[in-house]
Amino acid sequence: MASEQTSILILDDEPIVSKRLKPSLEKKGYEVETFTSSADALKRVTERKFNIVITDLKMDGVDGMQFLTEVKEKYPDTEVIVITGFATMATAKESFNRGGFDFLAKPFKLGEIAEVISRAEEKIKNK
Amino acid sequence: MKNFLQRVGQFFQTKEQTIVPFKLIFADFKKILNLNNQILDLIADANDKLSGDYIFDEQYIHSTCHQLTDLVRELIVLINHLTQQKYSDLYSSFHHIDEKIETILQGVVLCPVKDFILPYSSITRDLIDAVGGKNANLAEIGSVLGFHIPDGFAITTAAFSAFWLENNLEEKVAAIIEQWQQKAISDEEMAWEIQRMIFDSTVPAKLKRDMLDAAGSLSKGKLEATPHFAVRSSAQGEDGISSFAGQYRSCLNIPLKNLPQAYKEVVASLYSPEAMEYRRRKDFRANEIKMSVACQLMISAKTSGVMYSYDPVLPEEETLVISSAWGLGEPIVSGKISTDLFVLDRQPPHAVKEVQVVRKEQSMSLHGSGGIVMESVREEQRTQPSLKNQQLKELAQVGLQLEKYFKKPQDVEFSIDQQDRIIILQSRQLSLQQEQMPRASDLTDISGKYPILMQGKGIAAMKGIASGPVWVLEHDSTLQDFPMGAILVARYASPQLARVIHKASGFITDIGSTTGHLATVAREFRVPALFNTENAITLLKHGQEITLDTESLTVYEGIVHELHYYSFHEEPIEEMYEYRLLRRLLKKIEPLNLFDPRDENFTPKGCQTYHDLTRFVHEKAVETIIDLNFYHTHQRDTQAGQLLWSYPLDLILIDVGGGIEGEHDKGIRPEQIRSIPMQTLLHGMSHPGIWDMSPMKVDFGSFMSSLTKTPPTGNSRPEDVGRNLAVISAEYTNINFRLGYHFTVIDAYLSDNILDNHIYFRFSGGVTDTVRRSRRTSLLNKILSHYDFLCEQHGDIIVARLKRMNKESMLKRLFLLGMLIGFTRQLDVKMVSDATISVYFEQIKTIMEESYGK
Repeated sequence: MASEQTSILILDDEPIVSKRLKPSLEKKGYEVETFTSSADALKRVTERKFNIVITDLKMDGVDGMQFLTEVKEKYPDTEVIVITGFATMATAKESFNRGGFDFLAKPFKLGEIAEVISRAEEKIKNK
Repeated sequence: MKNFLQRVGQFFQTKEQTIVPFKLIFADFKKILNLNNQILDLIADANDKLSGDYIFDEQYIHSTCHQLTDLVRELIVLINHLTQQKYSDLYSSFHHIDEKIETILQGVVLCPVKDFILPYSSITRDLIDAVGGKNANLAEIGSVLGFHIPDGFAITTAAFSAFWLENNLEEKVAAIIEQWQQKAISDEEMAWEIQRMIFDSTVPAKLKRDMLDAAGSLSKGKLEATPHFAVRSSAQGEDGISSFAGQYRSCLNIPLKNLPQAYKEVVASLYSPEAMEYRRRKDFRANEIKMSVACQLMISAKTSGVMYSYDPVLPEEETLVISSAWGLGEPIVSGKISTDLFVLDRQPPHAVKEVQVVRKEQSMSLHGSGGIVMESVREEQRTQPSLKNQQLKELAQVGLQLEKYFKKPQDVEFSIDQQDRIIILQSRQLSLQQEQMPRASDLTDISGKYPILMQGKGIAAMKGIASGPVWVLEHDSTLQDFPMGAILVARYASPQLARVIHKASGFITDIGSTTGHLATVAREFRVPALFNTENAITLLKHGQEITLDTESLTVYEGIVHELHYYSFHEEPIEEMYEYRLLRRLLKKIEPLNLFDPRDENFTPKGCQTYHDLTRFVHEKAVETIIDLNFYHTHQRDTQAGQLLWSYPLDLILIDVGGGIEGEHDKGIRPEQIRSIPMQTLLHGMSHPGIWDMSPMKVDFGSFMSSLTKTPPTGNSRPEDVGRNLAVISAEYTNINFRLGYHFTVIDAYLSDNILDNHIYFRFSGGVTDTVRRSRRTSLLNKILSHYDFLCEQHGDIIVARLKRMNKESMLKRLFLLGMLIGFTRQLDVKMVSDATISVYFEQIKTIMEESYGK
């Protein structure tokens, strides 16, 4: 297909993040699936691949850093964007070390994440 | 900078140790200023989050509140440290506010008022937590839109809490719910148990009295000998996005003495199995459930009905649907009788497209001694339509206005009373059928179908979709002609545009900030607004039909129905729990109730919000510094005196080293000042024409009278006049000015070492009218940015910073600030139109060029 949709998985245990992001990204033409439990999200990535993953860091069970690691192991060319309300230099660094594409501190603007996503898309295209 | 501090330090070392050196006092003072700034910025940022442009979560709300609490606490500790615990009362005000904030953070909805009863005439949207959605909507339909509503009042959630508390219901209800959770009892048993308990409870004596008094005064002067009432629910969340349609009970035609019993019946319906299940599905937290009740004079209806502003099954038909029958509305709403059906064109003049008149055998009417009764309709009326053509058209207009105002298709209940007036009984959101909704992904190709007039320009002050004809504002005076439903296109996002907020579908401006007044109002009324587009006014033509999508910063030509249906279907962001929570919290944080230090409420006790506390502490900190150094001479490490100046600026100068020369027993003459930053500021302030000495035209009352009042000189105590303070040294100046209701803070250090040089400028307005205040802010922003200041605007506050420029460049800019201080004193009065912004900008630029060259 010439115009294949870019698929995005969003994982954040606070539902408002997905609720707010999903319609906004769908309007831009992305295919979006959202999860509030990292176990469910992990299960889903065993079933299919996503082009882009957006994940929170601090969650019960499997945390965002582990999720990032697992996704990158399984799909090295999936780009992972980390969003967190507890942003520190150390966590930012670690997410980059584990192959994260970018790091956004919550709260952020819709425009900011849209910009990061389109950069990630660009990178995927140029591979 | 280091040199300066070292020198100040050395200077102080020679002093006696028994006195607290000014260096330490001043350090506290600067900490207070710093905290003050941090707090105000945090508050402004939190408010900005409500624009819908941010992704934030509960964790952000919690951490922001806790951060604010910590800062405010620190502020109070510091002012008490500075004043030897003079303001220890601040702690109790602080704890009081902090406690409320903590309670709200736990999800508890606090009633914003203590009253048990609020008449409709005093209800605004702000009181929704007290009166519930149904009451708040209805009151606004009456007061803002001017439609007829029943006379009535709300029994608040404060009354509910009192009822709950007096009967210990929280514990009792929780115990029953626990039994149910353990599956010991069924859904029905739980509901029945709780309801029985509520029936058996006592209505508190005060509530009973207030209720009967309010009902009694409602019926005064009415024709009916024995007034009767309708008692309805108005619960949290009802009538909002989660429309608990028909979940709660209404009691009709209740005689006055039976009101308390009816109140209990309505409250008990909170715990019907359906209502409980509904709340569970809608993620309502247990704490959020508090019921307000509506008490209205019963309307003896000729006809009643329901209107849908969109056909919910076939929205693409662009029609509105009215069903009606004779008598009261109850059997219509519950589907017990057949009704006439009318389908009208949504577009004016609302042509009637379809009429189905049914045979109406029965109607519901009021029973003489109370209650309601089903009656046979008179034979000749049975086959007559229950609404006339003229009434249908009027209803259509009402429906569309309600839709515009509430931003969603509306489901409206109405009656026609004995005087043939349309009375609105309720208006709530209508859900359109989901199958008809375009999915978000279907929207990706609309740009192919509709020409794009503008894209990627501007900032969204309020998210949303709006369509309608463009209405270009040429002159302020034409605003009164603004037509219903149009999109206002203007040069500036001036606060006066808020006057048409009820009529406008959207706002587009060339210039404007998302933190200004218009943005706040647009958010409050949910009118999509796009500011700072640079040239919308030239791109868009008067009368042209457009669709504005502020989320994608796009303006389409024509009406894009797909976007509309989609936006109807989307859950409004402002209805999400986190938004509700943040809005509730900000009410305890943001409003400023303390303005004038001479006011009676300017006390620790008068502080109702964190903003009040911050304002109070700042005022008292300045006062204390002046008091210590000027009125008491025990500060031997400083010199202090009042500036003797030909302008009415009551300024106390405190010199910490090299700032003043010569004797100053009788005051300090400007030529004695050796502080270079101070000298330059005064130089700017006294530039010819800048400080207008002539009496100013008083055109808005008390504000101006406070401005023109020259503080008495001589032995005036700081308690009597505004506090103007400057702490200076040869190279340093820290100024706290209050001129009228303007607050200015300047902190400047100026030396030959470029790395140490800085200017910090903070300007905030006061209680003047918002239109001129915003013009003034725009002007300051424009000028300061032009002269390389890094400007931040938070509402009315402007913060401008400048660092690391050489001495000459810094001097030039201090001169500019001096000029601006003198000038802003008269600005509010003179900025009569938006056009004055550029006029004054050019004037100031000219003066700067004359004084310093291009």
